[in-house]
Amino acid sequence: MFRKILVANRGEIALRVLSACKELGIKTVAVYSEADRHSLHVRFADEAICIGPPRSSDSYLNIPQVISAAEVANVDAIHPGYGFLSENANFAEVCEASHITFIGPTPALIRMMGEKDRARAEMGAAGLPIIPGSDGVVPDEDAAKQVAAEIGLPVMIKAAEGGGGRGMRIVRTKRELIPAFLTARAEAEQAFGSPNVYIEKLIENPRHIEFQVMGDKHGTVIHLGERECSIQRRHQKLLEESPSTALDAGTRDRIGQQVVAALRTVGYSNAGTVEFLRDGSGKLYFIEMNARIQVEHPVTEMVTQVDLVKTQIRVAAGERLEDSVGTFQAKGHAIECRINAEDPDTFVPSPGHITTFRVPGGPGIRVDTAAHADAVIPPFYDSLVAKLVAHGRDRAEAIARMQCALDGFVVEGIKTTIPLHKRILADPDFLAGKFDTHFLERMAPVEAK
Amino acid sequence: MAKKTKAEPLGAGGIKGVDLAEVERLLAFMQKHGLEEFEYERAGVHVRLKKASLHGGVAARTVQVVESAALPEAHAPVPAPAAKTSGDTHVIKSPIVGTFYSAPSPGADPFVTRGAKIDVGQVLCIIEAMKLMNEIESDVAGEIVDVFVENGSPVEYGQALFGIRPHKKK
Repeated sequence: MFRKILVANRGEIALRVLSACKELGIKTVAVYSEADRHSLHVRFADEAICIGPPRSSDSYLNIPQVISAAEVANVDAIHPGYGFLSENANFAEVCEASHITFIGPTPALIRMMGEKDRARAEMGAAGLPIIPGSDGVVPDEDAAKQVAAEIGLPVMIKAAEGGGGRGMRIVRTKRELIPAFLTARAEAEQAFGSPNVYIEKLIENPRHIEFQVMGDKHGTVIHLGERECSIQRRHQKLLEESPSTALDAGTRDRIGQQVVAALRTVGYSNAGTVEFLRDGSGKLYFIEMNARIQVEHPVTEMVTQVDLVKTQIRVAAGERLEDSVGTFQAKGHAIECRINAEDPDTFVPSPGHITTFRVPGGPGIRVDTAAHADAVIPPFYDSLVAKLVAHGRDRAEAIARMQCALDGFVVEGIKTTIPLHKRILADPDFLAGKFDTHFLERMAPVEAK
Repeated sequence: MAKKTKAEPLGAGGIKGVDLAEVERLLAFMQKHGLEEFEYERAGVHVRLKKASLHGGVAARTVQVVESAALPEAHAPVPAPAAKTSGDTHVIKSPIVGTFYSAPSPGADPFVTRGAKIDVGQVLCIIEAMKLMNEIESDVAGEIVDVFVENGSPVEYGQALFGIRPHKKK
């Protein structure tokens, strides 16, 4: 088992990883930018090293600084968290070259899943259902026209190096196709460094359902059930739950087995999430895979009682899944609300100094946060303040507990999206489990912006 | 440096064996009598106070507290804290994480020592990061008044390396 791990991240996920390390008796090293000097992850780690000025590119994304810190602190492994360097295959390779274990999949698999068109092709070849679409990258306008004609409009143009909901354009009419194609390529180049795009048939009003997976270094892959993440704004998830009200046991088992088989075929290891869209008829289509631990992992942890982050560390250290996870059972229902430092109506970011921070508790409530009274939410990073998770015997109890917890979560000094979550948790469609990814747009609007 | 560096000011009362109220009184004493430097030893604690500025008030100071090794419960020397300087002293900070080397190779003479006069662009030290030796150059001309880091110690981004009293511009 590792002696010492460096956490290459910040905020709540850094704290999460620090806890997992501590439970396993592993020493911890935090890295931080000057803006995070007083952060909890810095204070709770055994050692802490400043790696740069506030900007992410100069600090948390600065590979030489992170590796240098790992060497100076003499760590055995690095956990990249989510975001930042977690899906940077180059970083994973540099870790390997520096004889530091990267806690995540292999560089080759990170690369495969990071190239979205390639992931689509590989998973399709490995047996997962994929959305009808182009055979890889669409190289030019003629090819774009041909694909659109074959699969039929409407279509979605997607950046090959994109992901996380970014770099996508909808085309509904023939006239829009080429302008959208060219703009999408320009945007993709700007945002992701590559103009490559691929095209898929547009699934109207889909539900976003994803499967949590875990692989060890001995060829075993398991899935830990699904999460429904349809409550989104501009493709950013706001609320997640498990199990999905749209999946019956038969579909869950069937898709779960297909996922496991496909990932075994490509030799996947460590944590990952396989994302699907479900169309109106109930069919599931693979869209992409995230080769890392995800923000919403607590939802699965609450339902299965499996500590996913500890498991990541254990399989990275060479343990077999049958030893680190063993058997588990999905019990009850869990919901997570992502509380962001944003105006709940306009979504304008609201960084600043928190004056009051009262966190709810009680049975079935979990709060993952690096915030506290007197903390400062800096403007340089994402706006996530806290993840509020409620678990219950069934969906009704999870909802009731979440409603109470939201009422009892008091944050002052900054604006948060708690009021928005209260509205979602009171919405009749949400309560009935009837929604898709356009839910938030359709939710009863507040006054104009 | 591998241990947690707390961002608390010197006055937060965290130095073993030193009564900071007493240090304050000594500084006031120096000020009153126009002293540049003051050194004393008492009960195994050795205190040296040195004024950096020649003008008016005591603008910049370095406080070095070294506990004597003769005491039975001797501690390792407390490294000089990052200089809280203003006025004349220019602090060279590390731009990278790595290991600080004061000389070009083991056993060689250090690049600079306290009192050395240096030019803009002169190499002051090496910081090794990822097996690469990075030469750290001075961005001012002047005299080295402080060396904050020991040879071979790890340094982090922004850590104070040298204090330089810049030459006055003609």
